[in-house]
Amino acid sequence: MPAQTDTLLRYRPWRGTLHGPGWAALAMARTSVRLMARRRLYWGLFALVLLVFFFFFYGQYLLAWIPGQLGDTVTVASVKVPVANFTKFLDRLNLNGSAHTFGNFVWFEGYVVVILLALAGSVLVGNDFHHGSLPFYLAKPIGRWHYVLGKCLGIGAVINLATTIPAIILWVEAGLLADWQTYYVNNLNLLAGILGYGLVLTVCLSLLVVATAVWVRQTVPMVMVWMGVFVLLRLLAGWVVDGLRADPEWRLIDLWNNLYLVGMWCLQVDPAEVRPQPQPAYWQAAAVVGGVCVGCCLYLRRRVQAVEIIG
Amino acid sequence: MSVLLELDGLTRTFGAFTALHDITLSLPPGRVGLLGPNGAGKSTLLKILMGLIPPTSGRGRVLDQELGGDRDSAGNWRLRRLIGFMPEADALVPGLTGVEYVTLAGELYGMPRREAQRRAHEVLSFLELDEARYRRVEEYSAGMKQRAKLAQAIVHDPPVLLLDEPTSGLDPAGRDAMLRLVKSLGADHGKSVILSTHLLADVEAVCERVVIVAGGRVLRVGTVAELCGRREDRYRVRIDGDPAGFRDDLVTEGVQVLGEFGPGEWRVSVPSGWTNLAFFKLAEVNGVVVRSLTRDDETLEELFLRTVSA
Repeated sequence: MPAQTDTLLRYRPWRGTLHGPGWAALAMARTSVRLMARRRLYWGLFALVLLVFFFFFYGQYLLAWIPGQLGDTVTVASVKVPVANFTKFLDRLNLNGSAHTFGNFVWFEGYVVVILLALAGSVLVGNDFHHGSLPFYLAKPIGRWHYVLGKCLGIGAVINLATTIPAIILWVEAGLLADWQTYYVNNLNLLAGILGYGLVLTVCLSLLVVATAVWVRQTVPMVMVWMGVFVLLRLLAGWVVDGLRADPEWRLIDLWNNLYLVGMWCLQVDPAEVRPQPQPAYWQAAAVVGGVCVGCCLYLRRRVQAVEIIG
Repeated sequence: MSVLLELDGLTRTFGAFTALHDITLSLPPGRVGLLGPNGAGKSTLLKILMGLIPPTSGRGRVLDQELGGDRDSAGNWRLRRLIGFMPEADALVPGLTGVEYVTLAGELYGMPRREAQRRAHEVLSFLELDEARYRRVEEYSAGMKQRAKLAQAIVHDPPVLLLDEPTSGLDPAGRDAMLRLVKSLGADHGKSVILSTHLLADVEAVCERVVIVAGGRVLRVGTVAELCGRREDRYRVRIDGDPAGFRDDLVTEGVQVLGEFGPGEWRVSVPSGWTNLAFFKLAEVNGVVVRSLTRDDETLEELFLRTVSA
């Protein structure tokens, strides 16, 4: 500990211009990404994200390459087999650079993203409550919404690294595999749709992660809550609508499906083409997603309080 | 700055409970101890001073910044920029190294990133955490954690430091060092320090002024010297010779013996109208010699206990 005068003399005043609180949110977001990147579990989950991405990436490449290289049929043990038979298993994924390609991609990434976000929530937000870091943030010249914004930006970066950015790469790849000038010009709406879908995912999921982490704080309960929301409710919705033939509005309890529907709307997909059928209307899904966001904001407004700071 | 803080009829209620009652207070810049038992209203006062909660009624200013309004208002952000706050709770961010933690604090105060990084290294060196700056903060010892918390409070070089129990959890050596450091920041580097604590020794070691709070009211305000010197009836007397007779005669004359420090050395409280000459007369009568007679002011602890119990 510094006790001697010569040590104390090293203190130097600082004079400079201070930025507004918006910069603080950026600093928090940067720190959040750094904290996530230091977790081995994050890289393990990110490897799964990459696995799904590479499946789509090379699947798209394979489907473009095979017809050009092999023709319509290929001979296997003196038997001519249509090439289409080899790639049948990929048909359901629509790996053709269409809106369904990107919708399906985000849908499949969702399984990993859900676990990734449970980890992000407990590390980035739960710890602030669990380890008493909240006073560190809220005693600074920022508002509670800057705190929420900073955390949401950090979580949004994690979401976009797993969904939007790989989807954009798939869009670029689809253009390069086709007549690229025509594809890019004709499918700019798809790029806008991907960005819109990413924005919806970022806003809704990051708010939900922050609100859930404020509520349960630790990783294991976070995972349980997320599994309840994204797996149990999905199973329940499927069982009620597909099994009991109830109204398709029952699917609205499946949040990931609602996000998917809003994403499909962003990608301008005809509602009749969305699988599985029947589905609720786009506006109904959007209303649920909006309601979740508003609910999270109201909860955060109540819970992220100055009362946490002193005593 | 001529006034550190100025409060006028400040009241804060939570439902039917009044946490602060009509606080009127004016303090010049300097090192101020905020003393009070648990539930006295210290925490509520700190929250109001930081603009985290508004007063229910009354007005106040800290360094010319008006108190009140929503905690997220621009006025309260400006106020919090002037204050470096060291919370009592751990308030560390697990996973960050010491230098990242202090840099983040600088950025949250609004410092540009590179400036915040440079300044973080400076203050960590100043607090002798330079060798631990790349270690994660959750691995720090209790003393190091306290210093890291102090580092994040001074990273933007604020004019006011608000320290909530800064010696909490420290061993005696660490506590002494922390108190010397806080005193130095005030005395040598011109910071105003508001030290909230229930440890009287911390206030005595660091502060020039004391504010005693209890039951939501300010009971005493003044310099430590003023408050502790207010009782003029206390003496410390030491004699050579047989102490028994001298002591008995003192008691007979109405002198109250408050404490004994050894054979022939007492702390006494004299009755009104007593003159110092009386000590020497009694000594002469008993055949002893007065070796030392000094004014013995009331300690801060005595003052505090007397004030709070009253």
